[in-house]
Amino acid sequence: MSQLIGTGHTRRRGLLQATAAIGGLQLASPFIIKARGETPVKIGFIDPITGSLSALAVTEVESAKWTVEQMNKNGGILGRPVELLIEDSANDTGTGVQKAHKLIERDNVDMILGDVNSGIAYAIMGVTAEKRVFHIVPGGHTDPITGKDCKWNTFRTCNTTAMDAAAMTKTLVSKFGKKWFFVTPDYAYGQTLQANFVRNLEALGGTWQGDMLPIANSDFSATLIKAKGYKPDVLLNLMGGSAQINCMKQFIQFGLNKQMALGGALYEIESVRSVPKEAQSGWFAMEWYWNQPSVPAVKKFVDAISPVLGGKMPTARHWMAYVSLHAARLAAEKAKSLDAVKMAHALEDLELPPEVSLMPGKVRYRAGDHQLMSDIYVGEMHPPGPGGADDLFTIGQTVTGEDAAGPAEATGCKIAWPA
Amino acid sequence: MELVLFNLANGLIVGAFYVLMALGLSLIINLSNVVNFAHGNFLAIGGYLAFTLTPYIGFWGALLVSPLLTAVFGYFIEQVLIRHVYARNHIYSLLLTFGLGFILQDVCRFIWGPSPLPLGIPDILSLPITEELFFITWYRVFMVAVVIVAVSGLFAFLRFTRVGMRIRAGTLDLDTVSALGVNVAALRSYNFAVGSFLAGLAGVLAAGQIGLNPNMGDDLIMPSFIAIIVGGVGSLTGTLLGGLLIGVAAALTTVFYPAGAEAVIYVIMAIVLLIRPRGLLGEEGMLT
Repeated sequence: MSQLIGTGHTRRRGLLQATAAIGGLQLASPFIIKARGETPVKIGFIDPITGSLSALAVTEVESAKWTVEQMNKNGGILGRPVELLIEDSANDTGTGVQKAHKLIERDNVDMILGDVNSGIAYAIMGVTAEKRVFHIVPGGHTDPITGKDCKWNTFRTCNTTAMDAAAMTKTLVSKFGKKWFFVTPDYAYGQTLQANFVRNLEALGGTWQGDMLPIANSDFSATLIKAKGYKPDVLLNLMGGSAQINCMKQFIQFGLNKQMALGGALYEIESVRSVPKEAQSGWFAMEWYWNQPSVPAVKKFVDAISPVLGGKMPTARHWMAYVSLHAARLAAEKAKSLDAVKMAHALEDLELPPEVSLMPGKVRYRAGDHQLMSDIYVGEMHPPGPGGADDLFTIGQTVTGEDAAGPAEATGCKIAWPA
Repeated sequence: MELVLFNLANGLIVGAFYVLMALGLSLIINLSNVVNFAHGNFLAIGGYLAFTLTPYIGFWGALLVSPLLTAVFGYFIEQVLIRHVYARNHIYSLLLTFGLGFILQDVCRFIWGPSPLPLGIPDILSLPITEELFFITWYRVFMVAVVIVAVSGLFAFLRFTRVGMRIRAGTLDLDTVSALGVNVAALRSYNFAVGSFLAGLAGVLAAGQIGLNPNMGDDLIMPSFIAIIVGGVGSLTGTLLGGLLIGVAAALTTVFYPAGAEAVIYVIMAIVLLIRPRGLLGEEGMLT
């Protein structure tokens, strides 16, 4: 019996072995959505369905499933049905890369979409470029993806951090002042976003302090103690997902909303829904919003997808997956091929039709860096308004993608095509 | 200096929460030799149950009922799954509980959805205790008070009740306890239920502080393991010390090097393992 129980020594060893071994067991089984058809076009979709960014990822996946379903009803891609293979990167770079290899080498996908996590999206780019697979990043924002490390096969739908920072800086300075405190996640997205904000702020003569914290940080009290001591004009909460929500809650609980303004780059609807009313505030950028009366295609899209979402309004994450999948379809149809090189050439500077872009301006993945030049909505968060539970944002200003991004040459992107 | 003192106090509060998590985990490891990687998911179950119950019985009612329901759930899981791996190698319990964790996480996602949910707490608890000590809300004070009561209750349970004394004895020498006619299988079941109760209690408290999401247990499970390793496997007092130590260390690190706040607890674990591999208060098989 004593062997069954183990001594303190074996228990310790067992615990240590178990703690170490668990890191190697992070790969869950894939979740596959198959469409009917003989020779389907296979699209691999990698997102962190588990982990601190899961709410955003699940939204993208939800939209991808719906978009593929609609696409198949309308002839699929090149007349072939589309098969969506969804993989969970678990918010872990190694897992994401492994899933990309698996999708390409075992499942023979025609193209890859993903990831919400910038670091994982960036890492997957290396795999897709090496394997010459067409790749769209729907929602990973860090700059090098379409900047200095851009690839011929990779396109990005969401904004760069430079675009979001450029769109927000002047508004925050003019409304609140030039003394800022950053609460930033310590990974690719947060690092580039803060660096862009700092560069813009310092150019305007501003000063700042800030903390870079682990991506899934849950307790912000130590950082907020620092923020209060610094007495900034505005606190920029650059965290994402559940970490951003917790930071917002604690910001309100500590009464800091009475002492400083709140702002940042992104405060996504998925997060805003989950915070107390007092925290549904501040000035942020929205990459897409469901309430755009001047764009008829938006209402049509909202009316079509909303019943599938249980009556909720679609978010920017729904839009990112929708646009990315339709962009892939349009590229294949223009190229009349699923060849990655031909598709990539076809998508460059291709102006998306309004029913795909769902925006007022002209929207295209520009040839110079493969970044989508989409409009950015700068505005204010607020508790639910007369438009319903998701009436949480008022657009103050629309900044065009071209204005926010600057010239493609300035991003450092030099696209090298395969021989 | 003021900033350091503020963070020291804050670290003790966070550490107290780690203690609650780690004690339940420690109990199960000590008696049953099962490294329960699903412990964080029991925490999530407790929090979600509170979320569901709160509209009917209020926060205070949910605080009492949810941990009890989590304990019943834990008892059931032990009966159906866990007890079958006691006689096997560590790896079986590891794989079983690791897989169970995924299942419970998906169950939460299926029932309550992937998006974060808030657990409403009484308004009075949301306020800071003073303007000066703005970072200490009444909820945090309440959390610490609950942890003190729970830890005291646990130690009293282990010291003064028949089942508690048997658990302590079983930790030292289960063969002898079994030879004396104690139903070891039942003892392990009760112990697992007590561990699950503490996880459920931690879940309700965590939900009031950071809200709910299906992955919430994942973020809290590693500090619990580290608290046990640092404090010493087999020692509940050690777990108590370990939890407080890593809470304070993480908070103080945030003052000087915020990005290292997560890493510092692993560094402490590595140092303890190098210098004193059995942990700060670890004694072989001792429950103190």
